[in-house]
Amino acid sequence: MNAAYEFVTGPLAWLAWGIFLLGSAYRLYSMYQLALKKDAPSVSFMDLGFSLRSIFNWLIPFNALGWRKSPVMTVTTFAFHLCLIAVPVFLVAHVTLWTEFFGISYATLPDNVADIMTLVVLAACLVFAGRRLTQKEVAYITTGKDWLALTIVTLPFLTGFLAYHQVFDYQVMIVAHIVAGEIMLAAIPFTRLSHMVFAAFTRAYMGSEFGGVRHARDW
Amino acid sequence: MKRTLPLLILAALTIVSALATVQAVMAQDAITKLAPEAFGTLTRPPAVFVHDKHNEKAKLEECVVCHHGGSDGKIDKSASTEGTPCVECHKVKPAGKATNLKRAYHKQCIDCHRAKGKGPLACGQCHKR
Ligand code: HEC
Ligand code: HEC
Ligand code: HEC
Ligand code: HEC
Ligand code: HEM
Ligand code: HEM
Repeated sequence: MNAAYEFVTGPLAWLAWGIFLLGSAYRLYSMYQLALKKDAPSVSFMDLGFSLRSIFNWLIPFNALGWRKSPVMTVTTFAFHLCLIAVPVFLVAHVTLWTEFFGISYATLPDNVADIMTLVVLAACLVFAGRRLTQKEVAYITTGKDWLALTIVTLPFLTGFLAYHQVFDYQVMIVAHIVAGEIMLAAIPFTRLSHMVFAAFTRAYMGSEFGGVRHARDW
Repeated sequence: MKRTLPLLILAALTIVSALATVQAVMAQDAITKLAPEAFGTLTRPPAVFVHDKHNEKAKLEECVVCHHGGSDGKIDKSASTEGTPCVECHKVKPAGKATNLKRAYHKQCIDCHRAKGKGPLACGQCHKR
């Protein structure tokens, strides 16, 4: 068991982080090249002010028109993304590992708070899945890729929760959790999850076009 | 014969309960878990550590491997300090770069398990619920 744990927290972790960081950089670079080739004018009217204006306005729940249209999804999406980022970054267990391996330590969330936030993520995943199953217009455009992304995100939280509470065999669960987390990291650049990398640029693009070309607001 | 059987049972029960009491008293003395008061309320279940059995199984004859000495920020790996709790020298929130209490336990325990390729490495193997 030690060998498995050391493998997934050692070489495999390096690999996953490497794919995540280099892969994201590559995707951004190749998207930029593509934009230059296919849509050079849009690159030239990109404007930092309009970009930040759009990003800022979309970051406020219910501020943008798109958010007001579906309140349930808006609340779910905001709660989901907040917990999704905050839990793994500020989890005591994760920070303990950063300390163990690199001597780095920083602020953490209390375990019971992180536990509840984990449940919020899992509940949100259920809402997303439910929406894709029950709402006709969403079900219509749902493909395997959407289910893949949703599954990849759900698994680290589910296995992390079970490992923390030591339900089922702990040693198997903790290794499964770490592998699930690493799959998620490595999948970010190459699946639907790449919206993490592109989201800011998508908004910036829309913001610049609406602000600089159409002289309108995009929220 | 009819009289001796109940007597034998009574005697057996007395011995068993006496042994159980002795064991309970001994178990109170010997360390089986680590839960130093300095942490206040623990956020995790106390770490499993059956002191004597652990050291026997891990073949650790020298106490100084864990009970080192030192002062003024310098560790002294030859001065044995068995019986002195780690918290005497490792505060929960020390000033400066000194090793804090949680880190002291984690580093000492996990580094050796890693080096020997035996013994727990993951949180829940030590902090058992
Ligand atoms: C694997 C590391 C390790 C080794 C080896 C070790 N100890 Fe300990 N010992 C500990 C820890 C950890 C504690 C708890 C310290 C604390 O409370 O902060 C402890 C506590 C003690 C205590 C205090 C007991 C109490 O009831 O408070 C004594 C006495 C002691 N050890 C003696 C020894 C002696 C003698 C040896 C050598 C034969 C030895 N130890 C070897 C880790 C070790
Ligand atoms: C008599 C004082 C004293 C006691 C008792 C003591 N230590 Fe230390 N320890 C030191 C000093 C001094 C240092 C070096 C400065 C530092 O890292 O804070 C040190 C360093 C350490 C380090 C870092 C060593 C390294 O290689 O970098 C660990 C881990 C550690 N102690 C664990 C423990 C544990 C666990 C206990 C209890 C079983 C313990 N210490 C008991 C004084 C002590
Ligand atoms: C100097 C080396 C060393 C240090 C320090 C050490 N251990 Fe161990 N530990 C071992 C070895 C070796 C084993 C494996 C024994 C075996 O199964 O043969 C082990 C096994 C264990 C086990 C499993 C016991 C079992 O019955 O299988 C636990 C729990 C444990 N260690 C806890 C701790 C804790 C807690 C500390 C710190 C206070 C600690 N150890 C410090 C060497 C060490
Ligand atoms: C080799 C055994 C071992 C492993 C593995 C281990 N710990 Fe510990 N941990 C200890 C010991 C010993 C202490 C000090 C005594 C205690 O609190 O039980 C401690 C203390 C703590 C404390 C401070 C006391 C408290 O409960 O608030 C936290 C938090 C903690 N550990 C979290 C973790 C996390 C998270 C992991 C996994 C990343 C982990 N530990 C892995 C042995 C271990
Ligand atoms: C490099 C990969 C990772 C490693 C090494 C790792 C390690 C760990 C460890 C050791 C625990 C503690 C288990 C316990 O307390 O026994 C844990 C818990 C957890 N991890 Fe990870 N993890 C990784 C990636 C991730 C990722 C990517 C996510 C989510 C996006 C995640 C989410 C969680 C959650 C939600 C918990 C449980 C928190 C709770 O319920 O309180 N982990 N992880
Ligand atoms: C940090 C930048 C991020 C931004 C700005 C962002 C933005 C968004 C937006 C706007 C949506 C659409 C919500 C809706 O349908 O109403 C969404 C959905 C989603 N995001 Fe993100 N996201 C980010 C990061 C991430 C990350 C890191 C992950 C996971 C690794 C992730 C996973 C998801 C999932 C699973 C969905 C829902 C998919 C579904 O409807 O089934 N996001 N995100």
